[in-house]
Amino acid sequence: MTYQTSVTFATAKKNRTPLAEIDVRDAGVAKKLGRVLPMPTDRTARVSSFNSAL
Amino acid sequence: MTGPLVPFREIVLKVHSRCDLACDHCYIYEHADQSWRTRPRTISDEAISWTALRLAEHAKAHALPSVSVILHGGEPLLAGPARLRRVCEELTRALDGVAALDLRIHTNGLQLSPRYLDLFEEFGVRVGISLDGDRAANDRHRRFADGRSSHSQVLKAVALLRQDRYRPLDLGLLCTVDAANDPVAVYDALAALDPPRIDFLLPHATWDEPPPRPGGSPTEYADWLLTVFDRWDAQGRPMPVRLFESVLSTLSGGPSLTESLGLAPTDLVVVETDGALEQVDSLKSAYEGAAATGFDVFSHSFDEVAAHPGVRTRQLGLAGVSETCRECPVVRSCGGGLYTHRYRSEPAEAGTGAPGGFDNTSVYCADLEALIRGIESRTAAASVSPALADTGELMVAQEELTRSLLAGLHAELGGRGGAEWQEAWELAGAVEQHSDGLDEVLAHPYTRTWLIDAMAALREARPGALDTALRLRSYVAAAVVRGRLDLPVRVGLTDGVLHLPTLGTLRTGTGGEAEVRAVEQGFLVRTPTAELLVGHPGGTTPYWRPVRHLRRDGVPVLALDDLDPYRDCFGTPVHPGLGDEAAAGWSDRLAAAWRLLGDTVPEQTAEAGRTLSTLTPLLTADTPARAPGHHGHGALGVPLEGGAEELAPALLRGLRRARLRALTEVTDLYALDGEWLRPAPWQEEPVPLSALLAGAYERVGLAAYDPRHRDQARRALDTLQDAAELTVGGKSLLAVLREEADRG
Repeated sequence: MTYQTSVTFATAKKNRTPLAEIDVRDAGVAKKLGRVLPMPTDRTARVSSFNSAL
Repeated sequence: MTGPLVPFREIVLKVHSRCDLACDHCYIYEHADQSWRTRPRTISDEAISWTALRLAEHAKAHALPSVSVILHGGEPLLAGPARLRRVCEELTRALDGVAALDLRIHTNGLQLSPRYLDLFEEFGVRVGISLDGDRAANDRHRRFADGRSSHSQVLKAVALLRQDRYRPLDLGLLCTVDAANDPVAVYDALAALDPPRIDFLLPHATWDEPPPRPGGSPTEYADWLLTVFDRWDAQGRPMPVRLFESVLSTLSGGPSLTESLGLAPTDLVVVETDGALEQVDSLKSAYEGAAATGFDVFSHSFDEVAAHPGVRTRQLGLAGVSETCRECPVVRSCGGGLYTHRYRSEPAEAGTGAPGGFDNTSVYCADLEALIRGIESRTAAASVSPALADTGELMVAQEELTRSLLAGLHAELGGRGGAEWQEAWELAGAVEQHSDGLDEVLAHPYTRTWLIDAMAALREARPGALDTALRLRSYVAAAVVRGRLDLPVRVGLTDGVLHLPTLGTLRTGTGGEAEVRAVEQGFLVRTPTAELLVGHPGGTTPYWRPVRHLRRDGVPVLALDDLDPYRDCFGTPVHPGLGDEAAAGWSDRLAAAWRLLGDTVPEQTAEAGRTLSTLTPLLTADTPARAPGHHGHGALGVPLEGGAEELAPALLRGLRRARLRALTEVTDLYALDGEWLRPAPWQEEPVPLSALLAGAYERVGLAAYDPRHRDQARRALDTLQDAAELTVGGKSLLAVLREEADRG
């Protein structure tokens, strides 16, 4: 007897980060969350954009 | 000019106004503005103190988390170590406890020595160096006044900065392009120095003083840069190149990374050696006094400069570029080019419509367009999310999103969940490792709804926010049951009810806590007063209501979820709970509708069968299109009433909306939505791109079922064709939609 499920997770589970190790401060994760969550006001440091310097 | 004031986050502090090189392409000394002649050579103590004070006051007033100060010139090292120490000390002291201070210096490197670098190490000043490439390229402009080469001295400075001790201070190399130089030789020479970052600058030019084009091509600079891009790309992009990274970022919907590209509002101000506050100093290439504001640090706040019309003009985004630029498909990436490069002192000849001033395209317009399109054509295939073309990848991305939200909730709690949360969180990790139970529960669409609600509740400090978060325990309990793991899970009982997501609802009749444990026959719930066994597959009992499933021939098995407390997320009322007879009748009608879809739109129906997991009955047929973020992929709200003829198009419409929403939740299809309004063939009022794309996406799908939608679908696709908002992903989706529409 199994519970009804139409999805298998083997592929997804192969290379993913364990739940406890997901770093929400990581830019990629923050971007992911930003698509579905209203993000708090931008408090992050910005990169320098001045053309005549780095 | 409207819109809120944009605070300055970047201050260019001119600490010395003269240079020990005589580069003939320098915008400070060789272009229209000659104000350097009347400036003090070195910044005064008073100007330093007032700058630090003004900056701290500005950062505090706008609650800025960090500010960057770029020590610049002339040649800033000519200010000498003592003066630079004073600058660093005063700025560090003033910003202490107010905002993080990011100190940088940009130098030609000639004077760089351990004496300076020790000082920079002490204050965390990072160092960028100008170098135009190999010796031949660098010697073309970067010479001493007597004509001597500076190349070997700059290489010594770079080598010094690369020593282990100073390496953390190294910002990289800044190279001004000369189209007469060999692009590969220039890039190779820079890359050989292993800098942490490179940027290439277009030489400053205006319509009055156009850039040299020694080869005669109207896209000579783009061709040069694309040659470098190809070399850089072929080498695996060994270091970031700011210009390229900026284009790649904007093509994918992200921000621009340099003021020379993109529509981001300017947030930098220049403080001259005499304390004068000026706009960005590349304006000195336009005309005498172009950068002046009339303000200075002694008498004026940074807010006053931020409100200056010249500054505000460069903060208007799309409204701040020329009319030609506003209609251009690449404007989101180029942003009309560097403001200075748009300047023309007199209106162009009659008929061209080019006015005097800055309301023009860039003198590099053709180059910028060719560069952006060139980078796009080279990288689009690899930049597009695989979720766009592969349903399996979309499902994986959706699950990763839900897992990230759960991790985000854990971080948001920051320990506030206490032992109860910690226990559930650790169990979740264990369940994930040992079974698919947690994956199955996280894939349930309304788990996403709970996570988003819990995050919002915590952020808004709503009463009961912690209890909402602690519902994790019931999700973990459901996962343990599904995974048949021998792990007891403590759960909270809300008003005598325990809902186990994806499984069903248990009426315990008591409050407090219970323990859920998987057993051979099903699962056991131990409350303070009773022990309740729910057997597999769990038929209805006086205390247990399982989630029903649609089981009909030729139709995928789907959960008919009228129990989940988070199912009310469709923008229209959900049914409070079906009786057996109503559920059976609804199932029959849904199955008939599904078969009808299978006969008329077999591809779409098969596709839906792979992604759809849950149907929830709605009280009305009025289902508005919803923004992303309400539930996970796989759920549809479907009206309870109506026969197969009514339910089939409703299902198809819902499936199309759900698919597009799922895509927008995991990849960026457009940016700057709402900056333009475009005609929509199905209504009088123009709409933002998101609405146009959603309408087109829906109608292309519906047209296969009902050809009356075909004309509107095609017209919407035509309007979308050159929309600047679309990212590379959005364009890829548009191409897929075109093919689908052509197939009929």
